[in-house]
Amino acid sequence: MSSDFHLVAYLTGIVIISLFVNMGVSLYGMFARPSLIKKLIALTILSDTANVFAILVGYRRWPPGSIVKPPVLTELPPTPERVARFVSTAVDPLPQALVLTAIVIGLAVIIFLAVIIMQIYRTYGTTDVRLISKMRGERR
Amino acid sequence: MEVLVLTLMAIVALLSTVATYLAITERDLLTAVIYSALQSTAYAIIFYLLMAPDIVLVYIPVAVGLYPAVFIVLIKKSERYEGG
Repeated sequence: MSSDFHLVAYLTGIVIISLFVNMGVSLYGMFARPSLIKKLIALTILSDTANVFAILVGYRRWPPGSIVKPPVLTELPPTPERVARFVSTAVDPLPQALVLTAIVIGLAVIIFLAVIIMQIYRTYGTTDVRLISKMRGERR
Repeated sequence: MEVLVLTLMAIVALLSTVATYLAITERDLLTAVIYSALQSTAYAIIFYLLMAPDIVLVYIPVAVGLYPAVFIVLIKKSERYEGG
């Protein structure tokens, strides 16, 4: 039981550390890469990583000795005892509802920024922020 | 069984890290979009293993379908290669 717990902690640590590395790499992409389109790709990766963290907060370890169970109520009709037993083993649904909203809002924001980048390219003829900052408003 | 699920989740998380690194450091933006879609697929598998199948049903059409479509239209209307 103890070695099992250590293995679970080790694997969860791998997942969390790789998500943090993803967040750091996408922040580097947003700050240091010159192309605006590359910055937008890094922004999608950053928001998705934040969503995965929000889901990970609501996760719960499996009850000991259980096989795979669907995260829905499987016994009908739902009496109070069955609902109480389900609630004692189910994951938290509140972060899932919030992330569901955040994904759709993120889609709208990304399309809006894509249209703005398209207009910047039509005005300046480039999407490189170093060249755009040198032009200072003159059309090319 | 729980250890098996977590092992799969760790492998997929490491795969998403590799895909993110390749997507950020790639000069050709079209290839970067494809690596970003690969990273989104890995995240969808992580969502499924974290027992959030409703998120997977929304996330796969948005992040694997619509994001690359928007980026490909954007790259077609502007420039393909990242200078410097």
